[in-house]
Amino acid sequence: MNSAEATSAPKTDAPTLTIAHLYPELLNLYGDSGNILVLKKRMEWRGITADVREVHVGDTPSFADVDIVFIGGGSDREQKIVCDFLLQQKDELKAYVEDGGVLGAVCGGYQLLGESYLMGEERVPGLELVDLYTDRGTPRIIGNIAIRSDICEHPIVGYENHGGRTHLGSGVKPLGEVLYGQGNDGITGFEGCLWKNVLGTYIHGPLLPKNPGVADWFISRALERKYGKGAIAIEPLDDTKELAANKVMFDRMLASRKQED
Amino acid sequence: MNVRSEIGVGLGHLARWGLRTVFRRNASQLPGRIALTVDPDIISRLAKKLQKGSIVVCGTNGKTTTNNIIASAIEAGGQRVLCNRAGANMAPGVVAALLPGSGADWGVIEADELSTVNIVPELKPKLLILLNLFRDQLDREGEIDRVQDTIVRALASSPETTLLVCGDDPISMGVARRAAEAGTKALSFGIAEDLHLPPERVPEGAFCQVCGTELVYDYRAYAQLGAFRCPKCGFARPTLDYQATNVHAGRSGVEFDAACIATGDQVHLRANFGGVYMVYNLLAAFAAATMAGVDPKTFQRALDSYSPENGRLQHFDVDGREVVLNLAKNPAGFNQNIQLLLEDKRPKATYIVINDNYNDGRDISWIWDVDFERLAGEGKSLLVLAGGLRANDLQVRFKYAGIDAQIAKDVSAALEAAKDMPKDQPLYVLTNYSALWPAKAELERMGKRHE
Repeated sequence: MNSAEATSAPKTDAPTLTIAHLYPELLNLYGDSGNILVLKKRMEWRGITADVREVHVGDTPSFADVDIVFIGGGSDREQKIVCDFLLQQKDELKAYVEDGGVLGAVCGGYQLLGESYLMGEERVPGLELVDLYTDRGTPRIIGNIAIRSDICEHPIVGYENHGGRTHLGSGVKPLGEVLYGQGNDGITGFEGCLWKNVLGTYIHGPLLPKNPGVADWFISRALERKYGKGAIAIEPLDDTKELAANKVMFDRMLASRKQED
Repeated sequence: MNVRSEIGVGLGHLARWGLRTVFRRNASQLPGRIALTVDPDIISRLAKKLQKGSIVVCGTNGKTTTNNIIASAIEAGGQRVLCNRAGANMAPGVVAALLPGSGADWGVIEADELSTVNIVPELKPKLLILLNLFRDQLDREGEIDRVQDTIVRALASSPETTLLVCGDDPISMGVARRAAEAGTKALSFGIAEDLHLPPERVPEGAFCQVCGTELVYDYRAYAQLGAFRCPKCGFARPTLDYQATNVHAGRSGVEFDAACIATGDQVHLRANFGGVYMVYNLLAAFAAATMAGVDPKTFQRALDSYSPENGRLQHFDVDGREVVLNLAKNPAGFNQNIQLLLEDKRPKATYIVINDNYNDGRDISWIWDVDFERLAGEGKSLLVLAGGLRANDLQVRFKYAGIDAQIAKDVSAALEAAKDMPKDQPLYVLTNYSALWPAKAELERMGKRHE
């Protein structure tokens, strides 16, 4: 190999993160593919190679070399199809989470993280990755939502649409405090969960495009786990458009909250 | 009619007259709302005015166009029709459509999917057309499962209604299967050949409606529509009662052979508008019009003179620039529009407008399920502009699709942003529901109809 070839060859030492997207064909109710797209682009813009693996029904995935696992939300019918397959991965996922594996779960996927949730009147066992459980309440919680979270500077904005009420165990931190909307149960004023490197939330809309700080939380947690703390700095990106979209919705919610007061 | 309903009808007429004459407003809803308040059973009473019966059209995409073509064709055949042409498709809109005049041969009624349960049992139509079911307005409609349940219930309470269903759509066929088990007579329509189109993202309906196994396809027309079958339980596209073959669909229009399998009749149909999705609309309209006694020549004549006035694929000429306006309100609709836009080989601009008012659905997460990535391939020969209440969300969506889009506040601003483009390069304005009327009004003010 001559030197010209050597310089044009792809850098093999470029950091790489592997994303496992669970059952995208079923858990995709609220534009969940947008979350994966945003993670991928924000890695690529920083010279991080993004290897996205879709896990399909019938696959027996290994999470040994996975850096981020993502679970979206589905309709009741689709979630039920997924549930049996997902429970077969329970031990594997549990080991991944205990090892500090980064995992994002939105909406229906969030409910799957816990001990159980209700589908109609039926109690369906969950993955038991995080100490939480979900029951139901009326009315269904539907609308825009904004929360303040420690994981990023901007408020996290999006949309929530859930009949479930999620209750966190005493050792589990919420993702944030509700500024507008309802959150986990409409009562405690908290939304989502943070446990080890697991982030669960009802906020879809989808979650990551308008909340670049949340996207970067996933990326930096995964880089730190794989390459060690401070080994790879996460470079800032120009988020003017993302933050403008975030602000439009946040200001709108703030204005309508003032009207309600 | 009893006294109560006479009062209801009378007040409805009065409100209609007042709105039109005094306030010069389109009377598509309020008279119906008043009449319904006085007499909740008014639809079933008004149905008696329809001497030959009624046809109801529902489905996520294409119902206004299909409904209006059926009405035009039946009228072209010399029969009298009452129709909610403007697309006011919940119970009050239906009442308002049925109020005028002393009687008609047919009612041709567009129904919102969730309103079918209020309309079908009252109207007891001869035919309910189910065009397709896609994910739409998640916040208001809930999940597709709920829409399916509602249509099944509507049919159960009107056993004499025949269901004409898109046999290519597994989600609609899920409804048909359950309705047929409860005794509903079902006929199906679809495209009976492989169109060899580029595969689209399919956000829904990939799994068997009966057993949950992943469906396999011999071919697809668009979205989840195609020759599907479940490898496990036998749920599959039925033998189509109305078939389209020799299909040519593009930007300049569609043509195909429409065959009725029961009678063996086959006719060639053509229209100067639409893409693949329009083949389904026209085939369903043709089947319905035939059942209402319209002969094929008359149906074709109605298509030839059909000119949309409702912002669906309307063409305008603004200072020498062609502007195409169309409604697109969910991933399936947008992906079909993107296909049409890409078939136009001229360099061009597109102005995409998304609102999140109640009628649109407040949740716009579906914009991430639209294949805007396909537009990125056009590079510099396509100028993309974003608008509407959620212009900023669109701008972010485009950024991640690899498109640098500026925001334009209305159609004038979009035309201004495109002013350096030669005049022979068109602007495509694609808007969702509540953004359609302002865009249409603006274009009517600025331009003339493009011939």
